[in-house]
Amino acid sequence: MPETQNVYEIPIGPIHPALKEPIRLTFRVEGERIRGVDVRTGFAHRGIEFMGMKRNLIQTLYLSERICGICSISHPIAITLAVERAAGIEVPPRAQYLRVIYSELERIHSHLLWAGVAAHELGFDTLLHLTWKVREQVLDILEELSGNRIDYAIPIYGGVRRDIVPAQVPKVEAMVRYYRGLLDELLDAFLRDPSVEARTRNVGILTAEEADSLCAVGPTARASGLPKDVRQDRPYLVYGELGVKAITPRDYGLEPRGDVYDKAVVRLLEVGQSLDLIETCLVEMPDGEITSFPKIPALLAHLKKAEGEGLGWHEAPRGEVIHYIRLEAGVEEPVVWKVKAPTYSNVMSWVPMFRDQEVADIPIIAASIDPCICCMDRVHVVRDGSEATVQMEELLRLSREKTDRVTRRLSPVPRHGGWA
Amino acid sequence: MTADQVRRALTAAVPGLQPELRPRKVGVRAPVEVPELWAEVPREGLVAAVAALKAAGPLHISIISGRDVGEEIELLYHLAAGYGTPGGEVMVTLRVTVPKSDPTVPSICGILPGAETTEREKIEFLGVNFTGIPSTAHVFLPDGFPGHPWRKDDPETAKLVNRLVEWEGKDA
Amino acid sequence: MSALHLVWQAAAVLVGGGLLGLVYKGFDRKLAARMQARIGPPLRQPFLDVGKLLVKESVVPKDAVGWLFRAMPFLAVIASFTVLLYLPWGPFPAVLRSGGDAILVLYLLAVPAVAMALGGFASGSPLATVGAQREIVMLMSYEFPLAVAVVGVVWRLATLGGGPAFSLGAIAAAPLWAQVGPLGVIGLAILAACLLIVTPAELSKIPFDIPEAETEIAGGLMVEYSGTYLALFYLADAAKTIAMAALVVTLFAPYGIAGLLGLSGAGAQAVDLVFHLVKIFVVMFAAVTTVRVAMARLKIDQVARGFWLQITAVAVAGLVLLVLDRMVVG
Repeated sequence: MPETQNVYEIPIGPIHPALKEPIRLTFRVEGERIRGVDVRTGFAHRGIEFMGMKRNLIQTLYLSERICGICSISHPIAITLAVERAAGIEVPPRAQYLRVIYSELERIHSHLLWAGVAAHELGFDTLLHLTWKVREQVLDILEELSGNRIDYAIPIYGGVRRDIVPAQVPKVEAMVRYYRGLLDELLDAFLRDPSVEARTRNVGILTAEEADSLCAVGPTARASGLPKDVRQDRPYLVYGELGVKAITPRDYGLEPRGDVYDKAVVRLLEVGQSLDLIETCLVEMPDGEITSFPKIPALLAHLKKAEGEGLGWHEAPRGEVIHYIRLEAGVEEPVVWKVKAPTYSNVMSWVPMFRDQEVADIPIIAASIDPCICCMDRVHVVRDGSEATVQMEELLRLSREKTDRVTRRLSPVPRHGGWA
Repeated sequence: MTADQVRRALTAAVPGLQPELRPRKVGVRAPVEVPELWAEVPREGLVAAVAALKAAGPLHISIISGRDVGEEIELLYHLAAGYGTPGGEVMVTLRVTVPKSDPTVPSICGILPGAETTEREKIEFLGVNFTGIPSTAHVFLPDGFPGHPWRKDDPETAKLVNRLVEWEGKDA
Repeated sequence: MSALHLVWQAAAVLVGGGLLGLVYKGFDRKLAARMQARIGPPLRQPFLDVGKLLVKESVVPKDAVGWLFRAMPFLAVIASFTVLLYLPWGPFPAVLRSGGDAILVLYLLAVPAVAMALGGFASGSPLATVGAQREIVMLMSYEFPLAVAVVGVVWRLATLGGGPAFSLGAIAAAPLWAQVGPLGVIGLAILAACLLIVTPAELSKIPFDIPEAETEIAGGLMVEYSGTYLALFYLADAAKTIAMAALVVTLFAPYGIAGLLGLSGAGAQAVDLVFHLVKIFVVMFAAVTTVRVAMARLKIDQVARGFWLQITAVAVAGLVLLVLDRMVVG
């Protein structure tokens, strides 16, 4: 069939209901079949690396947290590891465990977020609302532990900024139990629903060979059957001792096909894996210091003297994040700071995934690599049925009150009761 | 893969290469050493080095980072050799330095198609040319963006920064 | 019946049907929200929506075929409200009656879909074009089972000598279930099930909201419509929902309860009308609200295949059973 005859272009984005962040995908479509795709990124490029190279390292750390609202543990962990490597800073054992706990909490909330988004892309809003309802539990725990739902400001060079005190441990354990009880229902709702299966099986396939040559990372690669997981392959923090194993659809008794269904399998199973890791860490975590530099000025002085380069890596919920940093003595700001987010590696895998699929599959395939989506803040409040614009001070006061409420009331018994 | 295997593959492919091993101690209860190799590679030897790593085992490119060092541009290829081997991945960083007068590097997309995004990013930000790259379209910056933001002597970037400083009234 | 009386009746049905459609839409959204563990909008939200749309600017895209783009919402509204005039309302016979009104209703139900597709093609947007193509494919897919179900029922009634052929009024007056044999009952049940499956497709609701598919084609056929034109499509959808549910009730459950309660006169009419509205609500709740919260959106090829093969086969099986019943019972 001559391709030029009936091929027309459909633009998706930069602003489109299926996309939660600006990106432009231009599809060449023949009827309902996709013949080609052109991916254009950069609509949210803020020059963060450039900004970081103009600020001191502590400010750069805060900046790294704001690269992405969801990965606000992953990027700080990667940059602290890189800087600690470059400046020769040791991290106390307890801090290493704490970093693992926080990053696994982040993984749970990120994967549940993805599950909701995926359900929404399929037009299954009920599943979206239920998933996001149960996701509140882990966000409440994160707010209890760090004071924030996102942007936790936990890792710092040489350790972490907040400890988990004994009174908080039962609450975290209660959360783990809550999700354990829900996991089967979650798997049931996603993986055994005929309409979800009809929309995700054999859709957006990325073969193992393609995933390997295009350097895909994280669940995107694992769903294709490649057991790649930075936590397992290139140990850091205490992951080497925790015995992390890369999860592929084989762990669910399926032969990996690399389709959207497999990606859902991997992500949902990883929620269970994260629960195990959190539980182990809570038990094994030794007592002791949480940072080797309790005083920030001392830390800054040490960093100013430091000279060297370092790499820091971390398995973020979406895959490998890696930071390269170069420090020079006498300069407060990093000379080079390069950030690689997981989506950076995964964008290329969209091209084979979209090939010969249908227009209807665009949203779920686009979502299947879980492109890094920035969280929206809570800025719109409806009270007494009337909408009121909320000033920043008011918003700050309200959030503090809410954190206070969560911290005070979060009982060991989960508030949400159950799944429905 | 072990660091030794990777080192042998590299030195066999590019004679005279001197990879530096920088192991890092990882863990609390039973610490292990995670190897990292750093090597300076002349640009003529880059493709051979990457091909040797690819031949030795599954290879992954994380990112190419770079910086402007006065008269030269330094590119760092951060690769993971033995990708997907539990506890057996070696982070290899190849350092390639090119003069600003001729910032040309051979593309490694032929060996690792996944390197295309990061190579294209370097074209935009550092003004490096890659020979044999499938596409040179911009990834992040708008088409027709003037200058290369990571070049320290780039007048267009200086203009942009100055505009921001004027606008914000302080450090941009 | 005087012309004035007819006009009065028609006005009552049209206004009442429109209001009822919006009220039911409110219930549909509220109940769906509760099933999804949300609070949901207030019941009067559809009225607010229409009110808001009516005061908004109606933008006609530069690339659109202007007259077609503007005319289609009116066509959709007129067609879907006309259906209401041909349907009996519980104890009250249909305002407009003729011999073949069952067939006419089938065609009228297809008109809003065609109008939306034409409006989509006319709006000059690639997303709307995709939506319009999908709408046409949907129409071709569900129309056959729908026709089989409706025609099967009215044909069987005609063979029993129940009034004028293909008349909805006749079937409302003489429910079929009691008149056919056991084979016929099974056949009727199958056709009723088919009609319930066709209902969300006819109304473009999840899992069949493919022509609009918010996350895929950003509202599809509706993407360029705004203001008054969008309000008209909204009203057409509300009226069509009522019409479709009322058609199901009329064909398969045209029973009143006034007799059971021992009422007569105006009281009986009022009770039966309310009961009729309750039945319409039950059909909408079962075929639209619960289905759309329980499923993901299907793809156009899956829907086309499903309707062409499975649903059509089942519907034809129901029809064959009715034919056999005719041979046995007479």
